[in-house]
Amino acid sequence: MVASAFSSLAVMETEEAQIAHGLRRRDPDLLDALIEQYQHRLLRYLLHLTGNRAVAEDLFQETWLRVLEKGHLYDGRNRFVTWLMSIAHNVAIDHLRKRNPASLDEMKEPEDGAPFEPEAGGPSPLETAVARQQHEMFEAALERVPVLFREVLVLRFQEQMKLEEIAQLVRIPLATVKTRIYRGVMALRPAMKGGAR
Amino acid sequence: MTNQEHDRASELIMRQGTEEIAAQDAAWLDLHLSQCPECAAFAASFEQTGTMLRSFPITASSSLVMSTQARVRVRAEQLREQHARVALMAVSFCVGVLFSTASAWLWWKVGDWVVEQMGLPHSIVAPGVLLFWLLPAISIAVLMVAVPHRLAHPMLVSLAREQEGDVR
Repeated sequence: MVASAFSSLAVMETEEAQIAHGLRRRDPDLLDALIEQYQHRLLRYLLHLTGNRAVAEDLFQETWLRVLEKGHLYDGRNRFVTWLMSIAHNVAIDHLRKRNPASLDEMKEPEDGAPFEPEAGGPSPLETAVARQQHEMFEAALERVPVLFREVLVLRFQEQMKLEEIAQLVRIPLATVKTRIYRGVMALRPAMKGGAR
Repeated sequence: MTNQEHDRASELIMRQGTEEIAAQDAAWLDLHLSQCPECAAFAASFEQTGTMLRSFPITASSSLVMSTQARVRVRAEQLREQHARVALMAVSFCVGVLFSTASAWLWWKVGDWVVEQMGLPHSIVAPGVLLFWLLPAISIAVLMVAVPHRLAHPMLVSLAREQEGDVR
């Protein structure tokens, strides 16, 4: 078991080293493959961060251009996805600073009424309606959660990142990551109590 | 129960699922959750938040992916050209410096010989050689000021012609 864990770690290291090597050479085929591989995860992160699909798509392209330009800075010691998300985080912050230098909480566009498209997934019309209602309530609650908390929730739950990885990516202390996750979950609690049970 | 225990419990809850928790810690957490309704409620909310967040089916469209790939390829090409241009300029500069340094002694001697042949004072050798070195750059600058259109980049000239044609 230890041997298999060691070998999987070695495989990961090789993959990350190959990515780092390719990025240094600005290999277009590698970049194409990376865009394909991380398309949904990156867009999901940016969409949750901005709350607006058009903005998220612009930042998606901007992130990959920055990956191309800053690729030589990736050394392959950390997971590529963590580095990619940190680039996306910086791109989103730059975007926010241009739009509103005052606060990260203003990142979300209030005029966009439907940032997410919840899937209606139930066999019967009643279950479909209930599921939709749950999603809508959760979505509305998520929109009200400050982006600082929403970001760490997305990284923890959707990207399955470790707390230390989140701290490294967002450049905040570990204790702040825990506080933000805690406060984010607590902020969403009323919506889940009302809808999911 | 102390605040420290609640903090430990919430941290273990946050780490569970993405990180390996020692069996001893897991057992302690189970016991704590059975005795602490506050932490148990947080654990349930935490679990539900994860389920709800993961249920959003957000996907990137193929057009977004393709346009991103195209933009990245174009930018990569631009960067490659820029890099090649900078490298060429650096090499040209180095070669220029090398040749001008190597030929300085020779030009000095030539200047000396010319002055001697013409019976001129030796004090004009230094300004003469300097002027000779600067003459090409000065001539080009004068020409550019005097006839800017003739010395413009061919692409700019053709663009200007096209625009003239459009106006006509």
